[in-house]
Amino acid sequence: MKRIFFLFFYLFFWLFPLEVKAEVSVEQEVQQMKDQFMSMQKRLSELEGKVIKQQEEINAHASQKQAYEERIQVLEKQLTGPSVTAAGDSQPQRRILGKWNPEIGVVADTVFRIDSPKVDEEGADRVSVRELELILGSHVDPYSRLDATIAFSDFETPSLEEAYLTHFGLPAQVTARLGKFKPKVGKAIPVHRDSLETVDEPLVIQRYFGVEGYNKSGVDFSKMLNLPWPVTHQLSFGILEGGNGEEGTAFGETRRRPTLYSHLKNYLDVTDTTGIELGLSHMIGSRDADSHFEIQVFGVDGTFTQHLNVNQNFKLQGELFSLDRKETADFDGNIWGAYAQADFKFHPQWSAGFRYDYVQPVDNDRSLNPEKADVGYTGYLTFHQSEFARWRAQFSHTDLITGRDNNEILIQGTFAIGEHKHKIQ
Amino acid sequence: MKIKNPLFIFPFLFVCFFLPSRPADAGNKVLKIVATQTLFADLVRQVGGDMVDVTAVAAPKFNIHFYQPKPSDVRNVSRCDLYVNAGLDLEAWSDPLLEAAGKRELFRHGPRNLDLSSGVRLLKIPQEPLSRAAGDVHVFGNPHYQMNPQNARIMVEQILAKLQEIDAPNAAYYKNNARHFLTRLEEKIGEWKKHCAHFAGEEIVSYHDDIVYFADFLGLKVEQYLEPKPGIPPTPKHLAFLENYIKEHTVKVIVMPTYYSRKEAEKIAKKVGIKVVSLCQAVGEMPGTGDFFSFFDYNINAVSQGVQ
Repeated sequence: MKRIFFLFFYLFFWLFPLEVKAEVSVEQEVQQMKDQFMSMQKRLSELEGKVIKQQEEINAHASQKQAYEERIQVLEKQLTGPSVTAAGDSQPQRRILGKWNPEIGVVADTVFRIDSPKVDEEGADRVSVRELELILGSHVDPYSRLDATIAFSDFETPSLEEAYLTHFGLPAQVTARLGKFKPKVGKAIPVHRDSLETVDEPLVIQRYFGVEGYNKSGVDFSKMLNLPWPVTHQLSFGILEGGNGEEGTAFGETRRRPTLYSHLKNYLDVTDTTGIELGLSHMIGSRDADSHFEIQVFGVDGTFTQHLNVNQNFKLQGELFSLDRKETADFDGNIWGAYAQADFKFHPQWSAGFRYDYVQPVDNDRSLNPEKADVGYTGYLTFHQSEFARWRAQFSHTDLITGRDNNEILIQGTFAIGEHKHKIQ
Repeated sequence: MKIKNPLFIFPFLFVCFFLPSRPADAGNKVLKIVATQTLFADLVRQVGGDMVDVTAVAAPKFNIHFYQPKPSDVRNVSRCDLYVNAGLDLEAWSDPLLEAAGKRELFRHGPRNLDLSSGVRLLKIPQEPLSRAAGDVHVFGNPHYQMNPQNARIMVEQILAKLQEIDAPNAAYYKNNARHFLTRLEEKIGEWKKHCAHFAGEEIVSYHDDIVYFADFLGLKVEQYLEPKPGIPPTPKHLAFLENYIKEHTVKVIVMPTYYSRKEAEKIAKKVGIKVVSLCQAVGEMPGTGDFFSFFDYNINAVSQGVQ
């Protein structure tokens, strides 16, 4: 019995505390579970945050990838299949020049001259600014362009050398000029003095048309003839005011009676480096206001150009003008003048040449001296300091019809600033 | 023979003048194209194939800066459908040439004037006020951009776009030609870069400042030129300076165009023991440089051999 009691007691003792213990343990476990749950929830939130973050990163990478893919496609397209539209001007730093200013250039032509006549002529025995040209030009609109040259000198009053409008693209591809300009007669007349190979104009130009060349007001037309052979033909004709340039003698002084001119240029490229040009000119004008077109000028010009290499070239040029003046019943013949010139550029900076002149003067008494003429010999050496500065030394000897000779030494400096583009003749 | 009334010639001339001109493409469907230089002409030919008839104004033996157009150039331009040029101020004779031809649509900014510089990244754009005291400075930046073969991509795209615009029926043909060219260009650029990688960073001396784009492509450094200032011929003082400079900076080669005298360059090269290499500026300038790729093959080989 005792044993049973003891056993019962023992069991009760152990069972009771166990029951209490069990109750405590459940609470703890519940608490622990709660803690664990909270912890897990926190962890889950963290993980969810991480997942969202990673998803965002993935999305960012995806969009970046898409951008790269698009870029690659563009580049591949550029490499293998060019786009239809051309690349635009994507360079904002490019210079925009001039805005609405015309092209402005200044060419100074300074000459030191010593000659044998003892007359105190313009620019003789001294250094002179023979001419300072102010050159202006610009397109007026898509159809036309205005060019003007104003000449200043230290021994002459300023003068308007040229001022003309060029109208492009008339019907049948004709180009017209209106104003004061150099007509396209021969080779020396159409160019400015700074483009000549010599300091002065050839003697035949000086005597017949003017010592400073021949600029006249009027209108002219030119056209490139489109013919099916390799020779280039350009036809020009114009109506000019009458008269001559300074000291010219071909026509009378009157400006009322017009002078008509025409010129046919013919050019053949023999090779890439060899060219031949042959031109024919005709002019018709009047001696005075009471007469009509009784003076005719026939001209022929020839030029041979040979480029030996990029720095050396050789040019032969000649022109002949024949004047039919119908002077008097006694003299109804022709007088003529010509020049022949050889120019050799033998070095990138040096060239030299020679010119021969022959001119039968207009005012000569031909009944006494039918064959007499002024004959000139000119030699020169040119140093091209740079593209815009040039020095030239020239010696001329002229046997005059008067029986006296003239010797001239000229040192010329030609300097250009600003815009200066030569017209293509 | 005495002409009774010489004025008869003028009505005749007047009639001759206004006879309608034969259209440039009468009886011939190919486009007549004039390019200012042979490299541009070759690019046009690569894209235009048989559908274009291309001529170049300046033959390869001439210095493009100082070329003097002839009457035959005026005639060719007056007959052409498209005028392709470098733009900028490389060809100073270009505007007078166009005006002499008198065809308005070919004028600068006209619909038939293709300025290939558009879209090209220019180098050496002057930032200071311009003065010729600095030599023959180019107003818009260095105009020799055709010397970088990578710029051919832009130029060819422009040529393609213009040909497609003026000759739409053959657009697919032009596109196919351009694709072939550009594919080959990428291959060649890779080849040239690989070939030249070993001398990238080396310094060279050039005669004229026409090398900047080519040097940029090859990774070469160019600081000094035989010309003391652009367009100004070498002076004894400047040559003496260069002699010392080349020694101090271990320059290995002097490069120069074929159209300048080699005298001064060879004098210095002999003194300091380096080479003088002539580079082409135009397609067809030297034997074996008849197209764009052989032109760059030649120049890159020349520099490579010079630097070694």
